[in-house]
Amino acid sequence: MSAAQRILILTGILLLGSTMAFGVYYALFDEHQTLVGMGVSMATGFAEAAKGDMVAAHASLDAYAAISAEYRSEVHAHGHWGMLSLVLIVLGISFKRLAWSEQQGLRLAWVLALSAALFPLGVLLQIGPAADIGKLLTVPASLGMVLGLLAVVWGLVRKA
Amino acid sequence: MVNTESQPNSGTNPLAMDVQRVYVFGGLLLIAAGMLFGDIFAMFILHPNNARIGEAMFAASQLVPEGDVDGIMAHFGAIGGFLENRGTKVDAHSHAIHVGYIALLLAILQPWAFLSSGTRKFCAWLFTICAFLLPVSIFMIHYVGLAYSPWAFIGWASVLADLTGGLLALVMFIQLWGLWQGRDGNTSALTDRFGSGGEGASKVLLLGGCLLLACGFLYGVGYAAWLQSGTAVAELDILKPMVEHAAASQQDLLAQDFANYGNYQMYKAINVAAHTHINEMGILLLLLSFVQGLIAYGEAARRRWAMAAAIGAVFLPVGILLEIPYGFVGSVIADTAGFVVIISLLAMLKGLFAQSGSAGGQS
Repeated sequence: MSAAQRILILTGILLLGSTMAFGVYYALFDEHQTLVGMGVSMATGFAEAAKGDMVAAHASLDAYAAISAEYRSEVHAHGHWGMLSLVLIVLGISFKRLAWSEQQGLRLAWVLALSAALFPLGVLLQIGPAADIGKLLTVPASLGMVLGLLAVVWGLVRKA
Repeated sequence: MVNTESQPNSGTNPLAMDVQRVYVFGGLLLIAAGMLFGDIFAMFILHPNNARIGEAMFAASQLVPEGDVDGIMAHFGAIGGFLENRGTKVDAHSHAIHVGYIALLLAILQPWAFLSSGTRKFCAWLFTICAFLLPVSIFMIHYVGLAYSPWAFIGWASVLADLTGGLLALVMFIQLWGLWQGRDGNTSALTDRFGSGGEGASKVLLLGGCLLLACGFLYGVGYAAWLQSGTAVAELDILKPMVEHAAASQQDLLAQDFANYGNYQMYKAINVAAHTHINEMGILLLLLSFVQGLIAYGEAARRRWAMAAAIGAVFLPVGILLEIPYGFVGSVIADTAGFVVIISLLAMLKGLFAQSGSAGGQS
């Protein structure tokens, strides 16, 4: 196993184990409460409108939108870590098929591994006090993933 | 610690060890079952369920002018049930396929994980059993509910899902430990070509898979950029006028709000489904490219099934996207493409069984 393969496969397995553990923690301690909060906020929006209090109705709908965004970020972080870790492992196994030198391959592996780890982290951070850092992280990380993958396709085509 | 030197060909044949066979057959069955379940869910449950959610929400809006708060809460309680029904089925579908993918990858990586044969066997069976129980228990959450549960917020099906998820995570960390231990010990090259032959089929699947993954990422980036750009309609921009129009009994405007909300939900669901299905099909094609040399078919048959899988993998997300302009026609294209992938997957599984049987007979 080359150094680039080790980086991709070990990072992939680490991310898989971590995102599974995160999924279990989230399902046990957060998901149910978040979903109930979403439902109650939206229902309260309609109930307050029925009472004629449109300001309270809008406030409840704002709360619904905020909880909904939080839920989306948490589920997306879990799902993206899972999917990107699979991509890392698959690319790690196929890495010998790419027409890149050892040094280029090593750089490509680091770009892919860091992007796969940091992109979902950026998504997750967007729901907390570090939302701006989260947004800043997602841009280079998603760019790194896309460019890294295009480099893989180019490496495959060159070899073929 | 035991390495794999005592396991002949285990690095070049992911079916050489018993544990590798457990992972491969378990993984392929999970992927095929997860995809079949997704097709059935999309055809018979998803659309009627969405219609029921819309009807209940509209019924709740009709109670706003009357000030019937209890009636509104009752309708939203029903919507919660419909959403749970849909959410658990989507999760069962995606988790079955994902753990299937992971099982296939673990089969390939076994020769590089320095674990004792007992630990290796324990992990393989624990992973496979939990991988089957996880989607089944997620599916059961909606039906079991809180029956006989001592807790007010979590039912037994959820407990089982969490337990199996935790055990799967434990297996992954054991594998990580094994791979870390063996990082310098096993110097043999890690390859993605197993067995002999099938180069043409493998190339079709490899290139198709990489291109699909690149397209899936670009699609995701483009969709996220569109959402952030401010040109996309926000859910709140529909919901706030909806409650105002409901309170004022402006039925024409309310009907327009519900039409807008239906469109909003449809666009969101289709875009997310297209993005995830492009990526999942990409991974599947890459995984299938690894095992073409182990399928007991001639070159022409291998290439035919590879082409069928690649065409199905491309047209599945295309069909999902075509649901926006063409509705049912798009669904038919997506479901047909899904069936083509399932059939090619089962054909490859049959070829793997045949190869495994003949290898067992020889030994």
